[in-house]
Amino acid sequence: MTSSSRTAETADRAQGRGAARRRSFLRPTGYAWILPALVFSVGLLYYSVGYTGYISTLNWNGTAPDVTHVGLANYAKAFGDPVFWLTIQHTAISFVVTFTLSTLLGFVFAALLHSRPWFGGLYKVALFVPVVLAPAIMAPVFRQIFANDGQFNWLLEHIGLGALAQPWLAQSGTALAVILAITIWGGTGVSFILYSAAMGQIDPEQLEAAELDGAGNIRRLVSIIWPNVRGTTLALATLSAIGALKTFDIPYLVTVGGPNFATEFLGTLIYRTSIPLGQVGYGAALSILLLVIALVMAIVLNAGRNKRGARTDA
Amino acid sequence: MNGFWSGRRRGKSIAAAVVAAGLLVGSLAGCSGSSGSSSADSATKGTVNWWGWTPEIGVGKAYIAAFNKVYPNIKVTYKQVATASYDAAIRPALASNVGPDVFNMAPGGGIGSIAAYQGSAIDLAPVVQKALGSDWKSKVAAIGPVGLTTSSGKLAALSVGSTFAGSVWVNPDMFAKYGLTPPKTFADWVKVCSAFASHNVTCFEQGAGDPGFNMDLLHAIADSIKPGVWSKAAAGKAKWTDPTLVQAMTVFKSMFSNGIIQKGALGVQQYPDVNNDFMAGKTAMVMMGTWYMQYSTVAGATAAVSAAGVANAKPFPIVSIPFPDVTGAGNPAPLFGDADYGLAVNTKSTHQKAAETFVTWLATNEAAQQVVANSLNDISALSSVSPKWSDVTLVDQSSQQSTLESLIGNASKITEPRLGDLSTPLGQAIGVATASVAGGQATPTAALTTLQSSAKG
Amino acid sequence: MLESRRRSSRVILQIILTILVIPFVLPLVAMVQGSLAGSGWGNYLAVLSVPELPLFFRNSALIAVATIVIVYVFTMLAAFGFAKLHIRGKSFYFWLLIAALTLPEVVLLTPLFATMTSLNLYNTYWAVILPLSALQLPFTVLLARNFIDGIPDELIEAARIDGASTVLAFWHIVLPLTRPIGAAIIVFTLLGAWNDYLLPLVFLVDPSTQTITQLPQFFVGQFSNDQTKVLASAVITALPEVIAYLCLQRLFERGLSAGALK
Repeated sequence: MTSSSRTAETADRAQGRGAARRRSFLRPTGYAWILPALVFSVGLLYYSVGYTGYISTLNWNGTAPDVTHVGLANYAKAFGDPVFWLTIQHTAISFVVTFTLSTLLGFVFAALLHSRPWFGGLYKVALFVPVVLAPAIMAPVFRQIFANDGQFNWLLEHIGLGALAQPWLAQSGTALAVILAITIWGGTGVSFILYSAAMGQIDPEQLEAAELDGAGNIRRLVSIIWPNVRGTTLALATLSAIGALKTFDIPYLVTVGGPNFATEFLGTLIYRTSIPLGQVGYGAALSILLLVIALVMAIVLNAGRNKRGARTDA
Repeated sequence: MNGFWSGRRRGKSIAAAVVAAGLLVGSLAGCSGSSGSSSADSATKGTVNWWGWTPEIGVGKAYIAAFNKVYPNIKVTYKQVATASYDAAIRPALASNVGPDVFNMAPGGGIGSIAAYQGSAIDLAPVVQKALGSDWKSKVAAIGPVGLTTSSGKLAALSVGSTFAGSVWVNPDMFAKYGLTPPKTFADWVKVCSAFASHNVTCFEQGAGDPGFNMDLLHAIADSIKPGVWSKAAAGKAKWTDPTLVQAMTVFKSMFSNGIIQKGALGVQQYPDVNNDFMAGKTAMVMMGTWYMQYSTVAGATAAVSAAGVANAKPFPIVSIPFPDVTGAGNPAPLFGDADYGLAVNTKSTHQKAAETFVTWLATNEAAQQVVANSLNDISALSSVSPKWSDVTLVDQSSQQSTLESLIGNASKITEPRLGDLSTPLGQAIGVATASVAGGQATPTAALTTLQSSAKG
Repeated sequence: MLESRRRSSRVILQIILTILVIPFVLPLVAMVQGSLAGSGWGNYLAVLSVPELPLFFRNSALIAVATIVIVYVFTMLAAFGFAKLHIRGKSFYFWLLIAALTLPEVVLLTPLFATMTSLNLYNTYWAVILPLSALQLPFTVLLARNFIDGIPDELIEAARIDGASTVLAFWHIVLPLTRPIGAAIIVFTLLGAWNDYLLPLVFLVDPSTQTITQLPQFFVGQFSNDQTKVLASAVITALPEVIAYLCLQRLFERGLSAGALK
């Protein structure tokens, strides 16, 4: 119980400091509450990070006993690797596109399904099942759909857009778009669920009041519901950013990062480097760079969150 | 106020919660897996864990069942790991003390690469010598030990069988339907494909999104122009910018524009996409190796056609044709290959003797090798064994048996490696070169120049 | 949520919803079609008659339940701490946790392997459960913290004035209110645990400890690939997750009792 008595002391000190932080003044300290999660998650994962950091200074194939220390050479190699910069570009595009579309669709679906349509359950299942299915299973299905003679081109031809039909996955220009579409397909269910839960918290009276004021559906969506689920939107921004950085399964399984690195992401690059190529040191350096980017992004997102004034206590 | 927010009480109850959760979860520990305690190492008794990406589970179990008729007291458990995950899984397992006793290894720098895992493998030369005598090398297909021996001379794994690429497989029913004959030259090939195209049928399908199979195609073209140049380049004894290879790459590129290779090939994988299209009768030709022999049998073909999604599957008699003579040079049809997989014994295994018994049996026992040969997936490692056609039911014996026999006959003479002399980075660099040419991002010369510079350094 | 009392507007909403959901359904249709191609229902029979199926199912369930328990307990404690209690350097700790989310599983494999071996947990279910929970926690803490943030401080303070300790307030006020997000956490953790492929593959050597994600492997060889049965096993594997979601979605629906929030 040493840790908790120490936290109690901290609480006393915080109280002593008083007026500057009125909210803190009323709050008991919570170190003991976050400790299990921190020790567990941070302990296990950051040990891995430290280990990876060490590996990143080596030239090593992961199994052989001979190991060469190369300092920061692996990092220099990354910065000079055009494919690395390409993955950064893809990650940024992926974040913007998947966040915007998944969030928008998830929000609209949640609002529509909260309006008690007929057969709501069926629609929910249709949105949720894509979340559940492993990308490994769906990869061949999607390759078939977007093949030159696949269902997507068939559909285009039958709705009079035959001119747009093309081998989607075979072209550098369109392959990334397909990968993003699949990501959105599999991710919208999550934003839908989260928005759905958040909308369940909105005070019905607020909505009724707006209705009495004559606010239409669109206005209510924009001016009442949207602001009320801002916390969820921010969480989704974080999750999308993390998702974009971690992107691995879908490009790896559908296009193997190709054609010509058009769908290469940091995750696929790290995998290819560390496992088949056996360049464990270089792969570790790329992982550390990934983590640094993540931290920078976290700081930026957090700054944005604080600036908008939603949180005063952090 | 602080009394209500007592840190002490809070701490206690969290501890209680954690302990409670721990107990709940702890009750599961009883079910957790543990490999049985190791008994004394014996050559006829024990348990052997075997990991591989091939054979399929059913085939693996069949091997084990046959093995157990001779060695009933060695319990072999086979775990098939997906090709794509094998390296990710085997690396840590071999580093641990509880890894598999026997594991698959392959020549070259691809999956299960000998270069990566030879450190975990014992030298099997004394074992095979004991089984086959000191002239053992004359009794097995040469291509096996070549690819599975390390630079320091250790025989790291025993080849169970080999596979060769360079052949093209055709669906004769589709050719017959449109009154066409399989191509012998490049001009034939273009003509046949435009004829198929006029009937809206795919002619030749290639999974160009799969670097390994592009490499097979380019390798075959190069060998058709001038045999041996590819192998020299792979060994660093010739430049990738050699005129033969530039010409080969130019031919390769033209196949994407002259209608031989289907549109959108770069977005397609050889497995499962191309394989299923061929089996479903949607494409007339594919470039596959000797492993495709397994679909010559009624059982193999029926299962494959059904697996490709065809209801009431009816098998059709696939046959292999020599790779078309693309420049009219008149060279023999290219064929190149390696041990499909070898079995290695883990240096850390506590059942090494039993593992050696199993590995030796599968790789050198005639009965075992007969099972391998009859499955028509691999060409048996033991030279004295060939498929026993009376035990194999082909879809159409008259058209298929002779081509299969000549394919196996030709293959057993081949010493040109398919993967064996390619390091991992070199394989990747060739993949990049073929994809950039196929996608139009680089000219054949430019792509090969890049390849040459990455091969050098 | 949206006004749909008039029949016409309800129909319009229904049409919009249907059009939007079509792109999500089509790939699923293609998948089910694929799973019924070739041998039709025979594909499902083939999958269901894999002798290891019950064993794989049990192993996956075991891992999922243990992971859910760990994640739920640790998440609720931490999320409450982050949302409602005073912690100096809160942001720092929080982002320390969240940033760990970005590491791809593949990268963690080698260090986790070293850890599990040194803890003597390699080849036990713990080697899968512990990393799975650790990887899931940051995400669920993020979710739950945002949710608990939305619970008015006054509710907790009211409880305190009534003489309850933090622990009691957490137990009697916060936990019941967090049931909707708790349900989401259970569903997401179930997904993460049930669908995990790499960790069981690498950390559980014994074939009798393999999980349900190994099922499609029975139909994929090196040079053969029975997509129809792979898809059928995907449908079978996904069923428990869909059922769990359907059972728990009522919790999202019911949401919070409006009275308690005012």
